[in-house]
Amino acid sequence: MGQRLRSVWPPVLIAVVLLAAWQLLVVIQDIKPYLLPAPSLIASNFFSDVGLMWAAALYTGTTALLGLMFGTVLGILAALLAQRFVVVNNLVTPLAAGLAAVPIIALTPLLNNMFNITSRTPRVLVTVIIVFFPMFVNVTRGLIQVQPVQLELMRSMNARPRTVLRALRVPNAIPFFFTGLKIAAPLAVIAALVAEYFGGPQSGLGSRITSAAANTAYGRAWAYVVASIILGLLFYLTVLALERWTAPWTSRSHHN
Amino acid sequence: MSIEPTGEATTTEVAVRAEGVWKVFNPGLANEVTALQEIDLTVTRGEFVSLIGPSGCGKSTLLRVIADLTHATQGAIQVAGMTAAQAREDQRYGMAFQQAALFDWRTVRRNVELPLELQGWSKDKRRVRAMELLEMVQLADFAEHRPWELSGGMQQRVAIARSLAVDPPLLLMDEPFGALDEMTRERMQNELLRIREETGKSIIFVTHSIPEAVYLSDRVVVMSARPGRITDVISVNLGQRNEDTREAEVFFESVTAVREALRGRTSGAVRSRVGEV
Repeated sequence: MGQRLRSVWPPVLIAVVLLAAWQLLVVIQDIKPYLLPAPSLIASNFFSDVGLMWAAALYTGTTALLGLMFGTVLGILAALLAQRFVVVNNLVTPLAAGLAAVPIIALTPLLNNMFNITSRTPRVLVTVIIVFFPMFVNVTRGLIQVQPVQLELMRSMNARPRTVLRALRVPNAIPFFFTGLKIAAPLAVIAALVAEYFGGPQSGLGSRITSAAANTAYGRAWAYVVASIILGLLFYLTVLALERWTAPWTSRSHHN
Repeated sequence: MSIEPTGEATTTEVAVRAEGVWKVFNPGLANEVTALQEIDLTVTRGEFVSLIGPSGCGKSTLLRVIADLTHATQGAIQVAGMTAAQAREDQRYGMAFQQAALFDWRTVRRNVELPLELQGWSKDKRRVRAMELLEMVQLADFAEHRPWELSGGMQQRVAIARSLAVDPPLLLMDEPFGALDEMTRERMQNELLRIREETGKSIIFVTHSIPEAVYLSDRVVVMSARPGRITDVISVNLGQRNEDTREAEVFFESVTAVREALRGRTSGAVRSRVGEV
């Protein structure tokens, strides 16, 4: 308990000092809000707008969650398929690396045209595509990178390929799955949010940021950025908690 | 020393028989390697046989051929009167490796239960059997621990318990104590001998260590590399082993005999020729 407290207060202290310095800098130098609004201005906007902000976070959060779920399921299914074929295995890493370099978010305007722009669909789709790759790559690795001695052990116990998959490959992939999810979850929030910059319904955090900025309400724009950060953190911490809870061995075990 | 009449043993007394076994990797290619050449070996029931030799002598390969983890290029393998493949399918052997190869996501008990699970045992029966085995390797108190919470020696004991789970008549061990420190290693050797006494298993044991091979075995099979073949089979007669055995005259004599055999010398007191076993 005391240990935990001791590890918590230094970053908190640093945050407080930085915020104070920021506030001081803005007041003393008389920096204009469009350049850099003071933390006090952002905070007051945050709390005065909290109801709308909640609704916006809920909208963007829902998009991110839907994208994360579908992207994860698709990533897992593709990984299960890939581990069965050696040829596909050898293609996975270069293919995924190549596709990761494609700025998927740039597809949003096109998806907006292909699907109904007034619906949530194009945004979810962008998120799905973005989530898919880290999930696919990591889960595939987890399914393939099994210790050879464990495979021999399974064979010595006369395990069928299906049993090897269930009893060895899938549990082996769980830490990799969480590695992928820890990358994908914050990415899903970013994707859902940035997808809103390209038009469509104006109810999400991304739309609020653009409209506030366009209306020179910089304090408000920054307040929504803060809300976005909180949403991203929330996604990340949820994954972290889920990992601790369902796979406690992932952080403790040491592989040789 | 008398030559053991293993050649005339009846089928029921034979745990493992290898006849004219060859294993060639990449046959016909530039990187062709003869891992095993014309291997003849008979292990009788209840016998403890060690395979020793330099790296690349094929001792692990021989063990894997017997376990049906890889196929012989030529020759016949018989395990408990069946082919190697049947013996594996019927779970007539248990196997332990240099790495304990425990599954981190399972508790110690559920690691031991794994082979039983694959055999379709019920949950309750699995549990009872696993606890019985953990009792035997003196790890019952650690049943609900995770593998990574155990020391290397303890992990290896779990692996041995797992290899005994389906109560196979034969144990195949591939340098199971190779990664342990000397003290732990000697303790594990005593433990293995005790388990062997309690269970009456036949054991084939691959090792790099001459004293280990001598201390544990009824016979030490000496192999040499390129191509991998059996050069000598040395009978060891130490009687009942205890801590004094490691300092006894006969122990050192056998160690010397194995060492000289490994060097390829033909002298030595305790010796029987390959063709006769």
